[in-house]
Amino acid sequence: MKPHEIILEVSADPKLLSTVRAMVRSYLAEAGFTRERTDEVVLGVDEACTNAIRHACKGREDECFSIIFRSDEEWIEIQLLDSGEPVPAEVFERKERVEPGDVSEIEPGGLGIHLIREVFDEVQFCPGSVEGNCVTMRLRRPKPGRTGER
Amino acid sequence: MALEIEVRETGGWYVIAVRGEVDLNSSPQLRKAVLAGIERTPRVAVDLGGAQYMDSSGVATLVEALKSATEKHKKFVLVSASVAVTRVLELARLNSLFDMRATLDKE
Repeated sequence: MKPHEIILEVSADPKLLSTVRAMVRSYLAEAGFTRERTDEVVLGVDEACTNAIRHACKGREDECFSIIFRSDEEWIEIQLLDSGEPVPAEVFERKERVEPGDVSEIEPGGLGIHLIREVFDEVQFCPGSVEGNCVTMRLRRPKPGRTGER
Repeated sequence: MALEIEVRETGGWYVIAVRGEVDLNSSPQLRKAVLAGIERTPRVAVDLGGAQYMDSSGVATLVEALKSATEKHKKFVLVSASVAVTRVLELARLNSLFDMRATLDKE
């Protein structure tokens, strides 16, 4: 398969998330991922979009963020770029979530970042120093005949 | 798909039936319904049979509801969660926290 690229420019409006998910779902199905794996990855992309809307664009619906899909024979890369306020680097730090024994033990926040890390094979967060943020999420393509394998 | 919420009372349960997608856009609607139910009645069930999708804001809503119910010594259960919604709770490492049931028959 020839390397390719798709660039989407999305207004930071939560009402558009459903449409973005449908597009990501269609892209992954075309690439041969199973239904289950597609569900997980759609969630991961949605969480990255939610972070851009809430933390970088801070609810300003006139702001936009970009989603870039790149693909080659081995990898699918989905990158989110925004030009909003830089999110502090510690927000993206890996924190191991342990199963809480009780509801009072649940730590607030960080769930979206955790889910992104869970579903992708590789994730890189690069918060901007002056403005904007970038998250690069990578998936190994399913091997032919072994559809959907991670 | 927009979120539709239907409330009914059956067999001593206040049931909040969710249909559609729970995300950043729609989770405030679910939050309002669930927290109001917990204020009002002692036994609240969220029927997730029609929920095709849930993101972290939906999970956070359910956690907030469970906390509120626990503090008020009320029952809070999840019913008929689909494979996709159960998977999100598993990925969040929160599935064992909830009382998850296939149906509300036994009680």
